[in-house]
Amino acid sequence: MDSERGRDSRSWDWDSPQCRAQLDEIFFRRHDYIQAGSQEHREFWAFLDRFQRFKTKRDMSAAGAKEDRKDGRKTGAGALDLGLPEEYDARYRINVSVCTGDVEERLGKSEHKGRRQRASGPGSQEISDCRLALLHFLDFSQRQSFGKLAKLRREQKNLPIFQYRDRIVELVRKHPVVVVAGDTGCGKSTQVPQYLLSAGFNHIGCTQPRRIACISLAKRVSFESLNLYGSKVGYQIRFETTRTPATKLLFLTEGLLLRQIQQDRTLAQYQVLIVDEVHERHLHCDFLLGVLRSLLAEQPDLRLILMSATINIKLFSDYFNGAPVLQVPGRLFPIQVIYQPIPAEEQPSRSEKLDPRPYLRILQGIDQRYPPEERGDLLIFLSGVAEISTIQEACQIYGTHTRRWIVFDISPPGVRKCIISTNIAETSVTIDGVRFVVDSGKVKEMSFDPKAKMQRLQEFWISRASSEQRKGRAGRTGPGVCYRLYAESDYDAFAPYPVPEIHRVALDSLILQMKSMCLGDPLSFVFIDPPPAASIQTAVTYLKQQGALDGRGELTSIGSLLAQLPVDVVIGKMLVLGSLFKLVDPVLTVAAALSVQSPFLRSAQHNPDCATARQPLNSNHGDPFTLLNTFNAWVEVKGERGGGSRKWCRRRGLEEQRLYEMVNLRRQFKELLRSHGLLESEHSAPPGSDRGQRREKLAERKKLHQLKRDHEQQESSRRKVLRMDEGQDGEFSSGSDTEGGGRGKKDQEGLGQNVDIQEVKFKLRHNVSELQEAASVSQDMSSRQQALLKLLLCRGLYPQLALPDEHNTTRKDSDQVFHTKNKQGVVIHPTSVFASDPEVLQVPEDDTREMGPDKRDSSRHQLLAFVTLLETNKPYLSNCVRVPALQALLLVANSVDSNADCTRLVVDGWLELELREAEDALKVLSTALNLRAEWERLLLAQLGGSTMGGAAVQGVSRKVMEKLSEGLVRFLLYTEVSYSLRRLTAFQTQNLYIGPLSQSEGSHTSAPDVDPLFPGVEAKPDPIKGGLRVTSFFNYNCLADSKDLYSECLRTFWTCPNCDLYMPLTPLERMQHEASCRPAGEQQQPEEEPGGKASSSSVSSLTRVYHCDVCDEDLSLTSTEILKHKRQHMYSVK
Amino acid sequence: MEKTMSETRQKTFTCQLCGLSSPFTYVGQKPPNTRAIVLLEECFVTQDPFSPDKEKFLVLGSTCSVCSMCVCVGSDCSLFYTKRFCMQCVSKHLDQFPRQIQAELAKKKQSSKAAVS
Ligand SMILES: [Zn+2]
Ligand SMILES: [Zn+2]
Repeated sequence: MDSERGRDSRSWDWDSPQCRAQLDEIFFRRHDYIQAGSQEHREFWAFLDRFQRFKTKRDMSAAGAKEDRKDGRKTGAGALDLGLPEEYDARYRINVSVCTGDVEERLGKSEHKGRRQRASGPGSQEISDCRLALLHFLDFSQRQSFGKLAKLRREQKNLPIFQYRDRIVELVRKHPVVVVAGDTGCGKSTQVPQYLLSAGFNHIGCTQPRRIACISLAKRVSFESLNLYGSKVGYQIRFETTRTPATKLLFLTEGLLLRQIQQDRTLAQYQVLIVDEVHERHLHCDFLLGVLRSLLAEQPDLRLILMSATINIKLFSDYFNGAPVLQVPGRLFPIQVIYQPIPAEEQPSRSEKLDPRPYLRILQGIDQRYPPEERGDLLIFLSGVAEISTIQEACQIYGTHTRRWIVFDISPPGVRKCIISTNIAETSVTIDGVRFVVDSGKVKEMSFDPKAKMQRLQEFWISRASSEQRKGRAGRTGPGVCYRLYAESDYDAFAPYPVPEIHRVALDSLILQMKSMCLGDPLSFVFIDPPPAASIQTAVTYLKQQGALDGRGELTSIGSLLAQLPVDVVIGKMLVLGSLFKLVDPVLTVAAALSVQSPFLRSAQHNPDCATARQPLNSNHGDPFTLLNTFNAWVEVKGERGGGSRKWCRRRGLEEQRLYEMVNLRRQFKELLRSHGLLESEHSAPPGSDRGQRREKLAERKKLHQLKRDHEQQESSRRKVLRMDEGQDGEFSSGSDTEGGGRGKKDQEGLGQNVDIQEVKFKLRHNVSELQEAASVSQDMSSRQQALLKLLLCRGLYPQLALPDEHNTTRKDSDQVFHTKNKQGVVIHPTSVFASDPEVLQVPEDDTREMGPDKRDSSRHQLLAFVTLLETNKPYLSNCVRVPALQALLLVANSVDSNADCTRLVVDGWLELELREAEDALKVLSTALNLRAEWERLLLAQLGGSTMGGAAVQGVSRKVMEKLSEGLVRFLLYTEVSYSLRRLTAFQTQNLYIGPLSQSEGSHTSAPDVDPLFPGVEAKPDPIKGGLRVTSFFNYNCLADSKDLYSECLRTFWTCPNCDLYMPLTPLERMQHEASCRPAGEQQQPEEEPGGKASSSSVSSLTRVYHCDVCDEDLSLTSTEILKHKRQHMYSVK
Repeated sequence: MEKTMSETRQKTFTCQLCGLSSPFTYVGQKPPNTRAIVLLEECFVTQDPFSPDKEKFLVLGSTCSVCSMCVCVGSDCSLFYTKRFCMQCVSKHLDQFPRQIQAELAKKKQSSKAAVS
């Protein structure tokens, strides 16, 4: 044809970018199937090169073979004629064609119009060559994709669970509850939801204990179902959701499902619920099963599937009335078990590091016994992070030395991979290629001591079930070996199953949630494995102390709010308290910071450079303030330098991931407060509201979204790198110690070459300038705001308070000792600021006066409020903040008992304060009582307003609130009263109270004579301690040394600074007067409030209806007036 | 629910030879968003799940031009040579196919035998 002429006439170069661009103009335009610049476009040109090389080669070899073309083709007589073309052409094997008017026209043009056209563009030969290549390329891509699909289907078919596909669907149709048991790798988590989807079930929810599993399963299932369901497969976790109204299958965390049940007990949004990994026995999961069990009766159409490893299956089946069990046999190759107990001299003692020798011996043994060509990786099970880093280090050294091992990374051929993990890898992480398992036999678990209200992280022997799971990891891909670093007799002595979390942890949040779900008495709730009654009782008591439950164990208004916040009670309380004052920004940050793991890397602790760089972030007010400073500084850096924050963090030994978690959590807290009406919704227009800026912003967001998408695409094509510790990030109560090593490095390596995806996500999710503003607000905190913030933290953390030992001044820094109510002799965790700077906790020498043994008078005593008391090798306090003792106790304690002149106070039955001056004592106490009453009133108003009116109704006027915070600050900072502070001995606490008065005494001193301190609250004799119960927390004159309440000698003349009252009063009478008497100016205030909304409550708080028996009349009087009125009768009677 | 169930069933393509089954989104010769591309047979088509681009199509299979059996495009089940032929029909009429194809099939048969034994 004219190809020769074309080639002769001009030089067409397939490799020239210009020539290619000309063809792009024809085949890969903006609206074509493949567009210039796309991934496929690049692939096409690469394909074209190969294709042309192949063609040239074939043309040459086939040159002589043309003649016998028809030899093989005979059409037998009578047979069907398929009508195939005479001449073979590979083109006939492609079922695609490309035809556009343009292309045809071009071909025509170049043939007819001749040279001029050809000189400037591709000739018809080039066009048809390119078209042919395109056809082959399309065919090639089709084959490639179909090959992948066929492989995927083959793999699905080969999964052990595949044979049970129909059986599972049938069971689910017939039974309300079905148990599916099978070990990791049988495919239950990915396949069962798909079986149900294709059987026509809609609205399927599948819970997972870990957030990361929700995401990866949603991705996997969506992929396996060919994205056909697209948005129909989604996940929902704490910070993100891909859920849409079209979602048919949703992966979500157990905690989240519980919250959904809290909102809607009918579970109307689900047709099927799958609870996966029930064998892990997490607190949430056990509870969820209990709740579902009680709900199933009301929802006959709901289907429930429990999925478990093959551990203790009968337990689950029995719990649900003998639900049918479908057990999928595992695909396990034989595993050789070798017991290699650690010799005594290599046994680690309690405080020492793990000895790596037993582990190295196994590595050596493998190297000697198995040739390096035989692939097979090693998985080591250890109990915790510290152990992992010890062994990792040793293995790395050994690995580099022998060149036979690589730790954590993907290994090149001939090198074995060594993976080190905690129990997390027993059942939850699929790791291919493991042939050798080393089982230390140990696990670290959190346990809870309800008596000391203390958590303990202790090492235990694992259970036989865990031991078998660990072993099983060696036999997934072929025969394997399991080395057990304990004796067979040890194995026989192991418990059969692990202790469920519900038996190990504090149940506060659980009980709170149960209360809010109206599940009745927690003691009679049918748990799959009921927790000890004492543990429930402790939680109830604690919640009462926290004010979340009232005396009868019912939810208070603050309690019901706390139940809806997915955070620890303590944190929730801080948030609510913070919303009342104008401290929302710092409180949000602190609450978030205390809810995630510490960003301060332990490894950086001994690095002097890091310590120096961190120095400006430290606050000697306490760890929450250091965290606050750190977060704010980080936000500042993000705002200024964006991507530079990673380096900034590295220099300071900070794990940036934690800061990202904080900022996400902080945002969620903010939304929660807003949705509960505790925070005004944002009304401001977005900054930069002029059009140009907005357009710029929009363009930037678009760019960010593109970056994120690009990253996701890259991610999906990149081989996944092991990350064992995923999912533990900030998970609250799931206490399994899912720690692991080797993280962080991976992120950085992977992302180093291109974008910091965290930074991109951060920018997409958060308004940086808004964050910066919030940061600068809390950075410029005055000492007054700081004092107030401390108080809020203290009130949130109460009763978690610790008292410095009186002999600390004479001890070394590292030997400082503290006491809590239930646990004596605790120490400060070395990561705390107070560990390096304990002097700030001590009473200054010049300020003290020795008042005999163990008694030091000072106005500067301090206490520590702490977040956790955790016992590892010692009982440690962590996340501490220091507070002024007297003021804090009077403002937050649940029980304050006094003697007659209030110079001796006992707080919570363990702390004794003795004030030198009766006059001071009375003043301080009276001020505290008033502040607390006002605080309580405003808090209730705030909570009430939020539950009724929504965001619009602000329960508390700003003026009133500012006045209260002013009062609190003044009280905290400027109370100069000298007192002693000490812990009561066990003996002293025995004879603390005078006890109830006898019948005869009681009749003449009882209530009627005494006015309530606060209108509406009756002061009654306390039936146990004796004395008078003035408020819910203050008990007057019940201490055993008390003088008679009514003896006239205690009456002293007193002038009220606010009114003209001058008369002899007992301490109680005086406090009562002060509680209601306000300066003249202030009494007017309520009437000035706009709209008169607040006035009614304020006025009524001053006067109340008093029925005088003598006059037999109802009088509306203030407390002072009542007092005067009564006195008038008293004198007249006498 | 019954309705959605039948819908789901209707939209599944299953190869009658190897049993591969997969939901499809389109049947015909002109899948959506293919512009200049036309299929030369009526195909069962789905979105290509392996392409990052959502607009790419993937042909799952079609019907045999001789016996009308529904077959996937996998090389063990069918062959396209100007038309779709299921492997059963191909072996029945092998003599009508060009030498290149015959040789290819013979070679494949041999290697699969070798793999089995
Ligand atoms: Zn097939
Ligand atoms: Zn056929």
